[in-house]
Amino acid sequence: MQTININLLEKILYHVEKPGRYVGGEHNQILKDWDSIRTHVCLVFPDIYDIGQPNLGLAILYDILNQQPDILAERAFAPWHDLETQLRQHEIPLFSLESKHPIAQFDLIGFSLPYESLYTNALNVLDLAGIPLLSSERGAEHPLVIAGGQACYNPEPMADFIDAFVIGEGEEVIVEVVRATEKLKQAGADRKTLLQELSRIPGVYVPSLYSVSYAQNGTISDFLPLNSSVPAFVTKRIVAKLPPHPTRLIVPNIETVHDRLSIEIMRGCTRGCRFCHAGIVNRPVRERPVSEILQIIEDGLAATGYEEIGLLSLSSSDHTQILELTKSVYEKFQNRKILVSLPSLRIASFSVKLMDELRDLRPGGGFTLAPEAASPRMQAIINKPLDNAVFEETVRTVFEHGWLTLKLYYMIGLPGETMEDVQAILDAGKRVLAIGRQIRGNRVRVHLSVGNFIPKPHTPFQWYPLNTTDELQAKLDLLKTGVHRTGLKLSYNIPGTTLLEAWLSRGDRRLGQVIHRAWQLGAKFDAWGENDNLPFWRQAFSEIGLDPDFYAYRERALDEILPWDHIHTGVSKAFLRRDLEWSKLGKTRKDCREQCYACGILDSFGADRPISPLVYWGCP
Amino acid sequence: MNDQPLRIRMTYAKLGNLRFIGHLDLQRLFERALRRTNLPLRYTQGFNPHLRLNLASALPLGFIGEAEQMDFWLDQEVSLEEISNRLCKSLPAELILKNLQVIDNQQPSLQASLLSSEYEVLLPADLDPQILQEQIGALLTQATVPVQRRKKTVDMKNLILDWQLVKQAPQSLLKISMKSTPAENGRPDELLELLGLDPADCQVTRTKLIFCEE
Repeated sequence: MQTININLLEKILYHVEKPGRYVGGEHNQILKDWDSIRTHVCLVFPDIYDIGQPNLGLAILYDILNQQPDILAERAFAPWHDLETQLRQHEIPLFSLESKHPIAQFDLIGFSLPYESLYTNALNVLDLAGIPLLSSERGAEHPLVIAGGQACYNPEPMADFIDAFVIGEGEEVIVEVVRATEKLKQAGADRKTLLQELSRIPGVYVPSLYSVSYAQNGTISDFLPLNSSVPAFVTKRIVAKLPPHPTRLIVPNIETVHDRLSIEIMRGCTRGCRFCHAGIVNRPVRERPVSEILQIIEDGLAATGYEEIGLLSLSSSDHTQILELTKSVYEKFQNRKILVSLPSLRIASFSVKLMDELRDLRPGGGFTLAPEAASPRMQAIINKPLDNAVFEETVRTVFEHGWLTLKLYYMIGLPGETMEDVQAILDAGKRVLAIGRQIRGNRVRVHLSVGNFIPKPHTPFQWYPLNTTDELQAKLDLLKTGVHRTGLKLSYNIPGTTLLEAWLSRGDRRLGQVIHRAWQLGAKFDAWGENDNLPFWRQAFSEIGLDPDFYAYRERALDEILPWDHIHTGVSKAFLRRDLEWSKLGKTRKDCREQCYACGILDSFGADRPISPLVYWGCP
Repeated sequence: MNDQPLRIRMTYAKLGNLRFIGHLDLQRLFERALRRTNLPLRYTQGFNPHLRLNLASALPLGFIGEAEQMDFWLDQEVSLEEISNRLCKSLPAELILKNLQVIDNQQPSLQASLLSSEYEVLLPADLDPQILQEQIGALLTQATVPVQRRKKTVDMKNLILDWQLVKQAPQSLLKISMKSTPAENGRPDELLELLGLDPADCQVTRTKLIFCEE
């Protein structure tokens, strides 16, 4: 059995940037005795440690698995280019941080795939581990390779490489998968039997158990399970009540992004923005009560020593007890020398009031608002209506309450968008700047942060094409010229990166060959804008003989079998079609806590809804 | 707030994986470890208060430190035993508490009174100590031994206070004492490079910090 030559590794670490990424040993790391534990799981976030370690999903699974006395969970991350070169040169396989075991020696490898641009990194990790990339080439001697995370709501592009996907929330199902795997392995089951059995666990999708046929025009003509014991579709898993939050979080020894105590105060969102993937796939809304959040902060601070906490959710001001929460956080923690950040606030003066409640606990820096669209017409199309008077009042309140910098998030490339709608973003920015300067003078800064819209699976906009690179570029040019000499600051995404994300998020399983080839050609770290991998991808598409435009720029027919149709989020396709129709009519929906629009969530999960009034669900 | 805070000097070892954690990261690590103790820690005044602590000297990445020192301050009297108990629970496994003592607030800072450091370099097993001995001797007979450091040149000869080669099997040991003042700070890894050795092949341990006597 291959082991890591620790002396050689340590010598190599002298020659890489930030060796602290690769050594583990952090406070709250869990190091169990390898030999006395039956089942070994390696959780892999396929980006560098600095990006992956703060991921809360990873921390939750690490905590849950390690709570089981007979399961050991360790971590691994993608090495940066410098260490990768050294590992390959010295033939050192990729290893876990805790015990430095080669990751190929674990029983299970669990990839966290929150976004698509990690796919080539996942392949690179398998390759560095010496594990065959293709699921079909792995046998009983290899670890079972599973994956989960928000990108896996369209698992098809990674179907060739992943043995089983966990669809939805992993807290309960991860232990079921590990238990089933160890039981079958002990019984000497072969890989085929193992996968067949795993497919019977609700929420587990085994791509190799389905066959896909394609029509002449390239669309899917049939998507069928290989035998009758395989489910025709897989519905995501949810936890009816948010489970206990981990508090003994690993405290990184080196600086990372979001270097703070992250606490999920609420899951899901009731706003129904039509572009928003997270808003659909994370339904229904579930909250943690204030008393529980306060206890998590207390325990988390004691266990980590962090000086900053982040209270996270998709729309914090929508938590039903948010005012009480901010007030109690201030009362309880005002003398504890901590900062409290509360991102994702709605555009309302109320949000400013919330931040005011935190007083000197709020971090320095700017205030952020996300109108996403500027013209009333676009706002109705995306179902994020914003009364201009309310917007201006909010902006005024922000400046009056001491902030000097305001960051505004917008999107371009939305369905039906014209140049007038893009111009409206500039006009809004200028109005905001004028209001700010009127109140606080010339020190005021207004920052427009503009993202490119990608029609995401499972949203009402899933049938729309992506704006072409030329279209996006023309819109960006208008913005770039428009901010000139206004004092507005503009940041934006490169259209090429957007295109890559669109291919990967909207693709079918034939894209696996393209991912494989692009990785062979050198694509990795695709999320890092600095190294432009687009030529590798174009070459891969051309060699494999697939048309990239087919995936990005084609309007899909409403009756088309979409590559992700067999993955059910609980929100029905009929609802998405209806919502698309409403969008075309410019009709908006209210917050669905006020009125149920029968999206399907209650049909799918209503039976699991806790009866206790103490467990809050956002559905009426 | 107490105008006469309790100044605590902590001696610690930095070992194992923590060799690969740099100075700024170590400072943040100490801040969090101290916060976990729930001791009445002293913070700086001002709009953005942070924990008051003071490390004697940055230990280069990859070096083991056997007796590093740091000062921190408390707002209330707490017994050294109590501080020790709480610190032992909150420090990561590879940071080891060696000693605690109360220091007069009037004493100069650790950095200001640090004079020199003692190092032990564990040499590669395949190295002939006799040849190295002669090499170092020859180097130090030169009038100056210039070393390029970013934009300036320093004289290695001036930075070395004392040295001794302990010939032993399987790996010989180079004991070396170097200046460690803000103006003149010796780096044993630079000496190893001058001698044609890769510092990654040698385990360097800082064994002692020498301060000026009051």
